[in-house]
Amino acid sequence: MQEQAPTIYIVDDDEGVRNSLRFLLKSVGLATRVHASANEFLGAYKPKQPGCLVLDVRMPGMSGLELQQQLNLLGAIIPVIFITGHGDIPMAVEAMQHGAADFLQKPFRDQDLIDRIQRALERDTRSRAALAQLDRIRACFDSLTPREREVLALMTRGKLNKVMAAELGVSQRTVEIHRARVMEKTGAASLAQLVRMAMDLESEPATL
Amino acid sequence: MKADSNGQLHHDVGMSAEPPHGGSGGDREKQQPPAALHGRLLQVSRMATIGEMAAGVAHELNQPLTAIANYAQACSRLLARPGADPAELRQALAEITGQATRAADIVRRLRALARNQQSERVPASVNALVREIIDLLESDTRLHGVPLSLELADGLPLVVVDGGQIQHVVMNFVRNSLEALAAQPSGESRLLIRTSVTTQHDVELAVIDNGPGLAPDALGHVFDPFFSTKESGTGMGLAISNTIARLHGGSVGYRPNPPTGACFYLHLPSQPTP
Ligand SMILES: Nc1ncnc2c1ncn2[C@@H]1O[C@H](COP(=O)(O)OP(=O)(O)OP(=O)(O)O)[C@@H](O)[C@H]1O
Ligand SMILES: [Mg+2]
Repeated sequence: MQEQAPTIYIVDDDEGVRNSLRFLLKSVGLATRVHASANEFLGAYKPKQPGCLVLDVRMPGMSGLELQQQLNLLGAIIPVIFITGHGDIPMAVEAMQHGAADFLQKPFRDQDLIDRIQRALERDTRSRAALAQLDRIRACFDSLTPREREVLALMTRGKLNKVMAAELGVSQRTVEIHRARVMEKTGAASLAQLVRMAMDLESEPATL
Repeated sequence: MKADSNGQLHHDVGMSAEPPHGGSGGDREKQQPPAALHGRLLQVSRMATIGEMAAGVAHELNQPLTAIANYAQACSRLLARPGADPAELRQALAEITGQATRAADIVRRLRALARNQQSERVPASVNALVREIIDLLESDTRLHGVPLSLELADGLPLVVVDGGQIQHVVMNFVRNSLEALAAQPSGESRLLIRTSVTTQHDVELAVIDNGPGLAPDALGHVFDPFFSTKESGTGMGLAISNTIARLHGGSVGYRPNPPTGACFYLHLPSQPTP
């Protein structure tokens, strides 16, 4: 799953533009999927599939901008490259404010598009790696027993073993054992790293 | 108030006179426009959206052009590699032909549309042409809170014109005036449409406002295509009006309206009275 080849999703209501994009990207060896509408894309979209989205701003039905907002709501991380007609610059600016990776005015130089796709794919790889890392941490933390979790909470607050023992009503020796299990299960090399992992988990919603 | 040659009432208002009450609409007999007139109005409003249409056509044309560029660029990439597959190249070339045909179709449709609007010139009364679109104009002026007055001269000679095109010029003038007036406090804004005969025996149709008038550096350029001082202006309004005037053997022009304001006028050669 890690090394899946990226897919370039192309969403444009214009069949001519859509197919020409597919042909162009294929000629440089990129895998594509084309969709004629935002809804069609949403129906086929697999969040786990790495890639990026090349999206027409202006489409009947759900516009490119609306699709972008929908994806933001879903917590999707797929980078979006907007392609726009001449009159659509204000829309493109709005799209950028909502986190679009890039935009291009039609017609464009093929190299410009390919460069932007490359950049978007790198960005996608980075965010997926970060998310995968978080998933790993979450799995480790999930494997803790309730008592170990209590110890973890106290550890991240910097409590000493003696204090923990008193708070939990157990011996200091027992605390030490739990502590060692926490470090082992989470794979944290130090208390500082453990605290960072716990903070990362808290700040990130569980989405892909 | 006075009655013009057709017995219709209108306000007799100079730009410095008292504000007219409620524009000219109140006194006019209200009647349903006959079918022919209705068609004319539709055509006028269709022409009024010529800017929007141009934007739409630009977008339409841009699509096949984008596709063609994509295919052509893909072909050069494929050709740059040894052992390019001729079948693949042939497919792209066929697509290019298809998209070029599509672009040509769009142009053909546009031409057909223009042909539909090709002028048919008949003897007409400029006053009657103005009255035909008065509802349209008033809905605009009312929206801007600007009282509209009419001063339509009695006994004007007829002109041989495409009425829709002349009405288009009036609408351009009026819209420009309203946009110029929008910049100043309402309540003081005045707008007047006046018809008269010039010393050269042309029929003059003037749209007069008491807005800021033209800045000196705009004077020589307002009739140029794409000259606009507005953020969202196409600068085509007066250029199209100029073309229409010339096509009719007439002219458009500007003179200031002292102490402040603009007067844009259209001159049309008059039909020698039989
Ligand atoms: N009544 C007026 N008072 C002052 N300036 C005017 C008036 N009418 C036209 N102008 C000036 O002339 C310019 C050109 O007018 P024109 O109608 O050709 O284009 P526009 O009004 O700017 O754009 P569009 O017609 O597409 O909205 C305007 O931008 C404005 O600066
Ligand atoms: Mg204008």
